[in-house]
Amino acid sequence: MRHKAPLIDALLGLIAGVGLVALYAPLLATAAISFFQVVRVRGALGFAPFSLDPYAALLANGEILAALATSLVVAAVASIAALGLALMFAFYFVSARRGLGLAMQTMVFLPFLLPPIITGLSLLIAFREIDLGRGLVTIIIAHIVFIVPVVYRTVLVRLQLLGSSLTEASLDLGASRVQTLRYVILPQMRPALISGVLLAFAISFDETLITLFVAGSQTTLPIRLWAMMRVGFVPEINALATLILLFTAVITFAIGMLQRAGERA
Amino acid sequence: METATARPWPDLLRAGLVHALNLGLPLLFVVVPILSFVAVSFWTLEEGQILLIPTLANYRAFFTEGSYLAVYLQTIALSLQVTAVNLALATAIALFIFRRTPRVRFLILMSFMLPLFMSYIIKIYSIRSILGQRGLLNEAMMALGLIDQPIEALLFSRTAIFIALAVLYLPYAILPIYLALDRIPANYLAAAADLGATPGQMLRDVVLPLGRPGMAAGAVFTFILTFGDFVTPQMVGGIQGFTFGRIVFSQFGLALNWPLGSALAVILLATTLLAVALAGLLLRREHVR
Amino acid sequence: MQPLLHLENISKRYGAVRVLEGIDITVAGNEFLTILGPSGSGKTTILRIIGGFESIDGGRLMFEGRDLAAVPINRRPFNTVFQDYALFHHMTVAENVGYGLKVRGRPRAEIATRVAEVMETVGLAAFGGRYPAQLSGGQRQRVALARAIICEPRLILLDEPLSALDVELRAQMQRFLKSLQRRLGIAFVFITHDQEEAIALSDRIIVVNGGRIEQEGAPEQLYRRPHTPFTAAFLGENNLIAGTLAAVDGPLCAVDTPAGRLAATVDGPAPPTGSAVLVAVRPEHVRLDAAPMPGEGLTADVADVRFLGANVMIELRHAALPGALLKVRRLADGSAAGLVAGQRVGLSWSAGDAALLRAGPAPAAL
Repeated sequence: MRHKAPLIDALLGLIAGVGLVALYAPLLATAAISFFQVVRVRGALGFAPFSLDPYAALLANGEILAALATSLVVAAVASIAALGLALMFAFYFVSARRGLGLAMQTMVFLPFLLPPIITGLSLLIAFREIDLGRGLVTIIIAHIVFIVPVVYRTVLVRLQLLGSSLTEASLDLGASRVQTLRYVILPQMRPALISGVLLAFAISFDETLITLFVAGSQTTLPIRLWAMMRVGFVPEINALATLILLFTAVITFAIGMLQRAGERA
Repeated sequence: METATARPWPDLLRAGLVHALNLGLPLLFVVVPILSFVAVSFWTLEEGQILLIPTLANYRAFFTEGSYLAVYLQTIALSLQVTAVNLALATAIALFIFRRTPRVRFLILMSFMLPLFMSYIIKIYSIRSILGQRGLLNEAMMALGLIDQPIEALLFSRTAIFIALAVLYLPYAILPIYLALDRIPANYLAAAADLGATPGQMLRDVVLPLGRPGMAAGAVFTFILTFGDFVTPQMVGGIQGFTFGRIVFSQFGLALNWPLGSALAVILLATTLLAVALAGLLLRREHVR
Repeated sequence: MQPLLHLENISKRYGAVRVLEGIDITVAGNEFLTILGPSGSGKTTILRIIGGFESIDGGRLMFEGRDLAAVPINRRPFNTVFQDYALFHHMTVAENVGYGLKVRGRPRAEIATRVAEVMETVGLAAFGGRYPAQLSGGQRQRVALARAIICEPRLILLDEPLSALDVELRAQMQRFLKSLQRRLGIAFVFITHDQEEAIALSDRIIVVNGGRIEQEGAPEQLYRRPHTPFTAAFLGENNLIAGTLAAVDGPLCAVDTPAGRLAATVDGPAPPTGSAVLVAVRPEHVRLDAAPMPGEGLTADVADVRFLGANVMIELRHAALPGALLKVRRLADGSAAGLVAGQRVGLSWSAGDAALLRAGPAPAAL
């Protein structure tokens, strides 16, 4: 049913349109500039013909590639570890006494709810207290702390949706708890597990504010970009930005499809 | 059947291990760090050394020394402005989505949410390349003859930080508001129309009141995120972009005054918690009435 | 006299699916009209069309001779009581009830007075300050009614408003609805799938099935003289026996069935002799005799005797009517005590209690 209000709709549509332009124009402009570089002819704006030079320069930039490798390693290790922890926490929440489960859950959610600057500096201080030097290990721990809540949430929602009847049926048929987990529960949760890990991977890959505190001399890709941006514009940043935008769009799409598949299952 | 009272000791051990892992890990990696940063805010810094001598000097510094208090208030003002503008925009956009047919809704919502998943640092980078004094916006306007001189306000200014933060955090406000609108039963609108309400009156009496929890959540998200962001002001604001978050961060970098930084961070944390509590209180009062 | 509301030959389709076809309904100014039909019959769609929540694909909707096509929901001179009440949970009961006046820009004092009056009318005078969540189902129902009548509409639409209530509350609300309608003297258009409710409440019933009107009339008329097999089966219980029309004498007809020749009464002009017809007899109208009487009615074997409290239902089989279970209802006064399964008995009825229906193919569900 529609209640017609053409004037209101026109106004809302205008605002929504401006919003979309504001959100996408910078991203699209960056992608465009990566192919058609901006040149200035006697101060006037102009575009160079299509070229993949920035991409070639990117491939030749060892620092960026090293940072990319670090980011991939961090994101992979952190999201796999986060999955294991999230599963453990989720099972604890549904099986332990309510009070204990809620206490655990509150603690687990905190790093995601607090401003990143708080999470970042408290981890920095804690690492210092135990004399853990800043580097790859501290980055990975910080990322795990930050992304566990996301995976935990996805896993728990699915686990609670499953209910207890499947577990009871499996136990009734003579399966052990471990067998039930392996043959009944985990297969049912696969879409949630995969989308949770992908989401965690994407967040870790992108994490900047917390990492700035705990990175030390190690640089992940966002930190590297941050450092380069402070110096000025470099053509390969446009190329890298375009590739990362493409990459995140693909991951987002995959997560979206998996979540939908999970809802239908 | 065995009774629970006579559990064999391996079982007890296993149960203990389970509790230790599930409660101990979050305690160690979340609670202890937070407590230690709060603790550090009370320690003394002397000649670059942190001494375990309790003091309130760090908090006193916030009120008396330099421009901490002024920057704090300016940052609150900036965050409140971004929150107000984004709340208005996000409400309008959420309403726009809400008034589409169900099939189109998801698609439009997704296109507003997609930037949420895009790289934070790259979004800042691309906003900066548009805004800059020699950025695309200025260049394009000059090429079109709209302006003669580049508008200097567009980079390294408060306006630039404002625009960048607003664009960056807009999707965070749209989502909760839309979700609140989406929960309004369809027949409430039918009933309001049936009783003679015009679309404007339906908006005022039904849609906006029921969307208010979402608007509160969106406002709180926006405020917390903009208030705590220390990279965006630095990247698009330059010297102008000296916000409270940047002061906190610099205490752990160049300034290297962890106790002061921690004290300022406690104030930052208290401010965000206050924002959450305030929003909750406003909502509750509305329902008791 | 011009009807208050007139639905003229209305049709409605969802994509390729026709949901309403040739719907023609008039509503008089002060009647309690019930639209009765099973789920999926299109009855709710008719209500939503009147209310303005659905568009129409053919026909006209006239109110006092004025076409309502261009009149939006909020300008239509009648109000709706929704199936799940649709009370605004963020407003108090008084705010809900006064909403129609508020959006018309009436002064506050007037709204307060009218709300108090209407709340009194529905018997909820003390509940104005509560929120809908703090009320029982029956109370919410009354609030929904109060909200619908406060603007003094000429007509109220009620969409199965009693379906969410338990049996006892339902009977109570039926009486309340009926008396309210009499007191207000306005038209009620009531939608239900419950035939007992329709019979108990209505001045007139319109039976819809498969998007078409099957039959309309006063409750008693519909009950005693169904015109179609659907009406006969949907309103109360009926024994339906198929046969061929053998002879007509005024309203009296003789029908040849596999179980012998049976008597029935036809309403209006009879179909030509030789056409396929049905004889419909209510279980309570069938006489049951221990010894079959030759030349009248038919004989059948008792299959089961079921005690239903105030009644006893006797189910019987006839060898020539395979698949059909004949039903006879008796008061549980001991008169059926001697019957046992397998016993052969005689069944008969007065011709006036048996209705002749044109068999025809059952109208295909639209």
